[in-house]
Formats: sequence, C-alpha cells, structure tokens
Amino acid sequence: MDVRVRFFAMLRDAAGTEECQLALELGARGVEAKTTLVARYPRLDGLIDYVRLAVNQEYQPWEVPLHDGDEIGLIPPVSGG
Amino acid sequence: MTVMRSGSSRLSVAGEIMQYLTNTPIVWDRIAYLDRWAAQNGCGAVVTFVGVVRPDRDGQRTVHALFYEAYPQMAERLIQRLMDEARTHWLLDGVQIQHRLGLVEIGQTSVVVVVSARHRAQAYAASQFLVDGIKHEVPIWKREYYDDGTSQRITGTPELLDIADPSGADHAHV
Repeated sequence: MDVRVRFFAMLRDAAGTEECQLALELGARGVEAKTTLVARYPRLDGLIDYVRLAVNQEYQPWEVPLHDGDEIGLIPPVSGG
Repeated sequence: MTVMRSGSSRLSVAGEIMQYLTNTPIVWDRIAYLDRWAAQNGCGAVVTFVGVVRPDRDGQRTVHALFYEAYPQMAERLIQRLMDEARTHWLLDGVQIQHRLGLVEIGQTSVVVVVSARHRAQAYAASQFLVDGIKHEVPIWKREYYDDGTSQRITGTPELLDIADPSGADHAHV
C-alpha cells in the first residue's frame, strides 16, 4: 500500500523535500513508516524521535495502523503563537 | 456565526480557503473589527489577546522578524477544535482566532484570539486555554530572522536544533 508523507519545518530541512510517497507492507503501522523513512533519509535519524505523527491531519500514536492512501505528517515540536 | 472579512483576501491552500490562517498583516482595524463583532450577543466581557513580535536578543544579534509556516489544513482543523472546546466549556458567546503565516516584523501582530462570554472569569480562562493550545498543539513553526542577516528555527526543544543542524550554521534563507 502507498502513503503520502509530508515533512515540515526542520524535518523538511533534514529530508530535503516537502513530501514523498512511501510503499509499505499491508497492515504496516506508524513505526514501520518511521523505520522506512529513516532508511531512506538518514538525516532523520535522531530527529524523528522528537516528532509527533499525524495521520490524515490528526495526531496519532506511532502504533496506529496505516491504510492505503493515508496522508502522514511528521510534526516536529510546534512553535506558533 | 460567520465573520465577514473586512478588506483582507483569504488565504487559499490547495483549493481550500483558510479561516484562521492568514498571509496578510493583521492590522489594528481588523482587531477592532473582531472586538466589535465579539461584543455583540449580549455578552458581558470581551478578552482580546494580541501576540506581537518582539525584538529579542540572542547574543550579539537581535530579532527583526519572524517567519511562520504551518501544516495549514491540520492547523485549521485543530484551531477549529480548540474553538469548539472553548465555546462549549466556557459557554462563550463568540470566539475568533487569526494567526499569521509568512514574514511578520517587529511590532506586527502574529496572532489574535478574541473571546466573549457572560463574565470575565470565563473569558480570561478561555483566552488562556486557546493561546496555550495554539502554542502547544497547532502545527505552526517559526523561524527567527536577526539583524545580522542570519536566521534560526525556533523550537521548544532546543537540543533538536543541534541534531537538525550539527554544524550550528544558520540558514540565510527559508
């Protein structure tokens, strides 16, 4: 199955891209996406431990099951206001 | 209740019109307009929080502007949820939020939170809840631009900057 990954702020700096498509095994969870992303973008290593996962624009635990077509957002600590 | 916009065009992201995020300066006329709107409905108290960019010093350099970016669709969704929670919990008569994206200079407004309620205690509490929620939950990020031409991302987790950029080099561009 394929998911769309969006990178923001310092995660975008580290990945060097705003988004990517990720092919995952059926039944994959957030953690598998995380592992796959670090393998593809080594500069995410370490950084990604501070990141909150969003799936379809909602915060989710990394254990959440993913589905084909999901939009994954990697959310580093926010600093609005 | 829908708030009519006075003299500012709405930000559109991927064909979706943004309600709470804006690229255009939040001028005092706009804030006064939101105040007047919130004061309708027979409320007893209007609390308006205005976040302003201040010239913080960082060693030898001084902030002269902030640049805000967001995960716009998710930010809109979370701001809407915060507003709904506040409206229900404190029985607000009105609530409005505007947050700037893009470059915001010293003295300019980065965020406005307007709430109106029967009594001031509710309005104060709701205002604080909303501002805290924006700062801690909503996916918006800022970068500080300094008077020496350098810039740096801002995060509540400072060690993250070292991991993100071990050289310590500043980025001159967004």
